[in-house]
Amino acid sequence: MNEIEQYLAPRRLDEALQAMANGDATVLCGGTDLAPQTESGARQYTAKLLNIRRIDGLGGIAAETDQVRIGAVTTISEIRCHPALAEIAPVLVEAAEHFASEQIRNAASLGGNLCNASPAGDMIPPLLVLGASVELACWRGGAVQTRLIPLERFFVSPGKTVKLPEELLTAVVFDRPAADFVGKFRKSGPRPALEISTVSLALGARIADGLLSNVRVAMGSVAPTPLRARHVEAALEGKPLDAASIAAAVAATAEDAKPIDDVRASAWYRSHLVRVFLEEVLNDVRGN
Amino acid sequence: MENNLTAAPIVKKTLIGQRVRKPDAPEKATGKTRYINDMVLPQMLIGKVLFAGRAHARIIRIDTSAAEKLPGVYAVLTGKDAAGLKFGFVRDNVALKDQVRCEHDEIAAVAAETEEIARRALLLIEVEYEDLPGVFTPEAGALVGAPLVHQNFPGNKSLSFEFKHGDLAAAEALSDYVVDNVFRPHHVTHCCMGTSCAIADFDHNGKLTIWTQTQYPYNYKMDLAPALGISPGDIRVIQPPVGGAFGSKLDVYPYEPIAALLAKKTGRPVKVIYSREEEFKAAPTRQAAIIHMRTGCTRDGTLTFRSADVLLDNGAYTSWGPTIPVIMMRTTSGHYRVPVVDFKAQAIYTNNPYAGSFRGYGNVQTTYATAQQMDMLADLVDIEPLEFHLKNAQKSGEVTPQKSFLRECVLAECLETAAKASDYSRKRKEYAALRDLPGRYKKGIGLASSIHNAGGAKIHKSDGIGTILKVDDFARVTVITGASEIGQGIDAVITLIVAEELGVPLEHVTIVNNDSDIAPWDVGVHASRTTFIAGNGTRRAARKAKEQILNAAAKMLDEPAGTLELRGGSVVRDNCGTPLIELDRLLRRMHFQAEPELVMVSDYYEPKSEPEGAKHISDHSAAYSHAVHIAEITVDTLTGEIKVDKVTVAQDVGRVINRMGLEGQIEGGIAIGLGYALSENMRIEKGMLTNPCFRDYKLITAPEMPPLDLHFIESNCAEGPYGAKGVSELPTIVIAPAIANALYNATGVRIFNPPMSPEAVARAIDETRQAGGRRESE
Ligand SMILES: Cc1cc2nc3c(=O)[nH]c(=O)nc-3n(C[C@H](O)[C@H](O)[C@H](O)COP(=O)(O)OP(=O)(O)OC[C@H]3O[C@@H](n4cnc5c(N)ncnc54)[C@H](O)[C@@H]3O)c2cc1C
Repeated sequence: MNEIEQYLAPRRLDEALQAMANGDATVLCGGTDLAPQTESGARQYTAKLLNIRRIDGLGGIAAETDQVRIGAVTTISEIRCHPALAEIAPVLVEAAEHFASEQIRNAASLGGNLCNASPAGDMIPPLLVLGASVELACWRGGAVQTRLIPLERFFVSPGKTVKLPEELLTAVVFDRPAADFVGKFRKSGPRPALEISTVSLALGARIADGLLSNVRVAMGSVAPTPLRARHVEAALEGKPLDAASIAAAVAATAEDAKPIDDVRASAWYRSHLVRVFLEEVLNDVRGN
Repeated sequence: MENNLTAAPIVKKTLIGQRVRKPDAPEKATGKTRYINDMVLPQMLIGKVLFAGRAHARIIRIDTSAAEKLPGVYAVLTGKDAAGLKFGFVRDNVALKDQVRCEHDEIAAVAAETEEIARRALLLIEVEYEDLPGVFTPEAGALVGAPLVHQNFPGNKSLSFEFKHGDLAAAEALSDYVVDNVFRPHHVTHCCMGTSCAIADFDHNGKLTIWTQTQYPYNYKMDLAPALGISPGDIRVIQPPVGGAFGSKLDVYPYEPIAALLAKKTGRPVKVIYSREEEFKAAPTRQAAIIHMRTGCTRDGTLTFRSADVLLDNGAYTSWGPTIPVIMMRTTSGHYRVPVVDFKAQAIYTNNPYAGSFRGYGNVQTTYATAQQMDMLADLVDIEPLEFHLKNAQKSGEVTPQKSFLRECVLAECLETAAKASDYSRKRKEYAALRDLPGRYKKGIGLASSIHNAGGAKIHKSDGIGTILKVDDFARVTVITGASEIGQGIDAVITLIVAEELGVPLEHVTIVNNDSDIAPWDVGVHASRTTFIAGNGTRRAARKAKEQILNAAAKMLDEPAGTLELRGGSVVRDNCGTPLIELDRLLRRMHFQAEPELVMVSDYYEPKSEPEGAKHISDHSAAYSHAVHIAEITVDTLTGEIKVDKVTVAQDVGRVINRMGLEGQIEGGIAIGLGYALSENMRIEKGMLTNPCFRDYKLITAPEMPPLDLHFIESNCAEGPYGAKGVSELPTIVIAPAIANALYNATGVRIFNPPMSPEAVARAIDETRQAGGRRESE
């Protein structure tokens, strides 16, 4: 059992990054993943516990410009209730709507959801279809250094990302979607509230003159990491949204979704749900 | 105001049937209640248990020396410290084991200054195991040559039961239709919000005081004593407020003697409290079973026979779980008029977690089968299901083959009320017609009913209760009763009855019921008995006190005896309500007069039921009652999700006493039953529980609770207090098969292995579609 020797709650980013510089800090944001994981023994605290919620400039949603920027400590509730986001990226707000419960949404952060890197993380599929990137910062050479990584290259395996131990995720950014962009999110679990997704699915595409372009489809809980469903996307790209393209896309899910049996659902059920959800969101878009 | 005839008359207002809040509700709502889990005693140590974490193994070596040396550790105990101290129904359990028979077997225990130190000490205990092949289903356990869970139980055979009534072969020959299915009700657990906890302390005479969550404090002493090698007389049981029990505290479980053994060794109070994960792994379960049931009827829809062949997964030890056939054999056929019955049950030891009692005790499993077979038969006979049910419904005065005397039976009224309120017959026909048409969402309606004991169950030689009642100089009443309060609301019922009888405000009643050295004997909270039994006990005691008071008043006021009444805190003339003297003044006068008298009475009430005897066949309860549930659901045939839109309930409650408590019991019972039906499931793989947390073990939460339409049918039970019957188990029993029948009505599929999880439903529908049509009842 490891003991926490130091608790830090800095106000400034550079202070936080310096504290993280030798990679021995456990980052604490809402704690809604961290606390249960350390409690169950799935994960150990390191010597330093670093609360990042008080750092200036790490929260907030900037949606006025061509690029949308959401600070890492922004809570799921803030996303859910943000009027501009509801206009620009309703697919993200929809996912926030189906996230946990009121209490958890008030504590859980966007950065925590991404860094936890669960295949079931609900904010991930919508951000994947929005083409988002994550901003990572660290203290190197006496200064704050940042790099931008496309979200789809961020995840390595359950609980693992390309983020280095000394790096902090500071923000999520994505280009303001075009006016003809449509996005949809769907998740399932056996009960309507407080549910970890059995599978989740997001669709993002532009529709002009009845044809789909820039199609992005993302799935959660069907593989070790959330993924872009390239075969499904290919089946839809440049196509009109009709019964034939929908059937082709649904058939293509078998190429993309490679789920496993686990305590929450069987591989059969997950594959089945992916087909059901894809068909449902495509029909939804078609209906509008 | 004595003899002041101008005072306004006090009108009789009955409290029976009113809504009365639980006396402890404000404390609980504001967080003031100190549960046992919150308790801290001076000098108290924390005990922690080392679980085996494997299903079947020999212990080759155990070394506790490093743990013992850790500063702050006061005792480390292992199997040798409990050797020979066998306890349990068939004496197959010990507090600390020298061999592993299930995942949560308690291998060692530590008492330390803090929980942190105790945890660390556990990590320092070295155990070397040799894993053994295990048995993980009752079928596997029953095979010749299967590994033995206990060497002294050959064939892994635990308890067995049999009941035969009538000529089965003849009844089968008479049957035009027979349904034949195998149901596999699953493992679920109680999920009390307060996890298991006990605090033990010995005094210098060797007398043990144990603070515990038990719901049967008196027989508990007898069950705990052999686990410690002491006399039951040397045990004092104190029951602080608990966060739920639901049957899970109706036996002794190893953490309780472990706390006591640690206390004995250290000479200090020791508290053992489980984390949620430990609770999931170590708490008893509802009994899992394999039920092969057959039911027959004639062409005109008259039931001819029912047979049930039941195999129970005993788990590693025998607690109440494998005794559920006592109730199963009654409810298999005690419900509709089934003239011929053939029941047998065998419990088989396995290396799985073991079952205890759980609200609905055996009848949850039975009714899941019987109520679905009633629905299937109705379709086969092609008779209006309501008519089919009514045709076979018992009536007042009938005696079942199992000797239950149905003195006041209103099953028919329950059926008619629920069917009318929900428009059952019309909707069932309409939804069935829509079933095979295209469409993703399907509606269904399903009816289920059952019978349960509603006036205790004389499984022991006595089913009685002792009550002591005193009224002080200020007309404050104290009821000292054996009736335990585990959240079910007997406190409100007792308060209400005392206020009703003695005409005092509800707030002037105090209940003392949590110390076995003070309160008199009672069997415990189980079998839907407490309102019935303790209600009668309280009323009888209150009436004795009232008689004493009114006799004294009549004498003192020179009024004719038998004309006075207690009302609104005063003695009044019964006919006109004229107040004659305030009760507290009267009591002081009685006390301080030349021939002083205090009001303190006692009562022992024993219900008129028969002990079960070895075969468990007798009129074992003082009352029986029925409930009918009609569930209306919407099924997403693609995801398999079932949304329960509404549940209509018609239940024979005898007479409503505390309306709010009654509603609460029915709502809570349905919540437990819905979880059982739809989402709760202990996933046990080779003896190991894989979902010991609320994330993966899914209780029903508030948003899923459907609107309930409750109809209380008052049959006025001759033996019950004010006519009341016990109510609390039926709601849990009836809801699951009502949903199962609704699922069939909506989609044409049946789930024989609950829960009806989205995946199970989606798979069944998908398989049916693959097979190109509706799957017939298998
Ligand atoms: C009851 C319950 C229900 C839940 N329901 C859902 C649900 O419906 N959908 C869902 O997706 N999730 C759900 N979760 C999981 C959890 O709430 C989310 O993943 C949440 O977004 C995590 O955010 P947090 O701020 O609490 O993270 P924390 O627990 O504080 O951190 C999570 C991990 O990320 C690291 N970390 C956090 N922020 C940063 C950062 N900025 N830079 C680097 N590392 C960081 C932490 O060190 C830790 O490893 C649920 C959890 C609970 C307890």
